[in-house]
Amino acid sequence: MSISKKQISNLLGLIASTENDATDCEGCFSHLAEFAELELAGREIPEAFQAIQRHLEQCPCCKDEFDVLIEGLKALPPEDE
Amino acid sequence: MTTENADTDDWVRRLSSSGPERDDAIAELTQLLVRGLSRSMANRYGNLVQPEDVVQDALLKILDSLETFAGRSRFTTWAMTIATRVAISEMRRKRYQDVSLDSITSDDNLSLDIATDPSTPGETQIDRANVLSTLQELIQTELSAKQREAIQALLGGLPVEEIARRTGSNRNAVYKLIHDARVRLKSGLERAGVIAEDFNAIFA
Ligand SMILES: [Zn+2]
Repeated sequence: MSISKKQISNLLGLIASTENDATDCEGCFSHLAEFAELELAGREIPEAFQAIQRHLEQCPCCKDEFDVLIEGLKALPPEDE
Repeated sequence: MTTENADTDDWVRRLSSSGPERDDAIAELTQLLVRGLSRSMANRYGNLVQPEDVVQDALLKILDSLETFAGRSRFTTWAMTIATRVAISEMRRKRYQDVSLDSITSDDNLSLDIATDPSTPGETQIDRANVLSTLQELIQTELSAKQREAIQALLGGLPVEEIARRTGSNRNAVYKLIHDARVRLKSGLERAGVIAEDFNAIFA
């Protein structure tokens, strides 16, 4: 199949953003809640979460879910306290 | 114990109890999840999925996996994480239900021709042609047929989760298959002297 210019630039974007990924979608998911709380609190990402960060930078599926999660959490009342 | 922990413990205790206390907790959690999803899903995906519908599935998963909740986050954050995944998965299923894998990956050739743009300086055009022919070569020689198919499907717009659904695989495996392909293409391009930082300059 022939692919469009946009698809080629998407492919090159995917290639350019490729780094070693020490985790996968499941590993990312199992720490996503804590990661989201760090993000919402505006805290620096500790070393232990760098792998999650790197996975999110490379996996559009998980990134979409993360972005939606953050929006959803913002809509919750700040109770819990 | 902090108030936050107390609250989290309380959720788990109430949801694990029985009778009206559990019913109340479920009703309260349902309301919270619907509230969160109504905002987040509608903002991005319109009304493709109804939060009320997916929350029922999400609740089953949450109750099923209560024992795995390790208390590393607030309970409600953890529950929202599960609900969000269920909602997006359902959204993807609906959005792509009419897209077959065959329609995107009809042949095994991933051809990278792009029309010449007369406004592009000659030198850039040569760079572009070089990168593309190298990439084309790498796709044919470095990737497996499965990897080519997955990359085609991805470029055709199918999310990894949907590729997995159509190939009888799972999301983790497809992600790894594609990631491995990306690594091979990247190092192949680097061996050929093309570094990722050049991409933007050449294809801007
Ligand atoms: Zn992922």
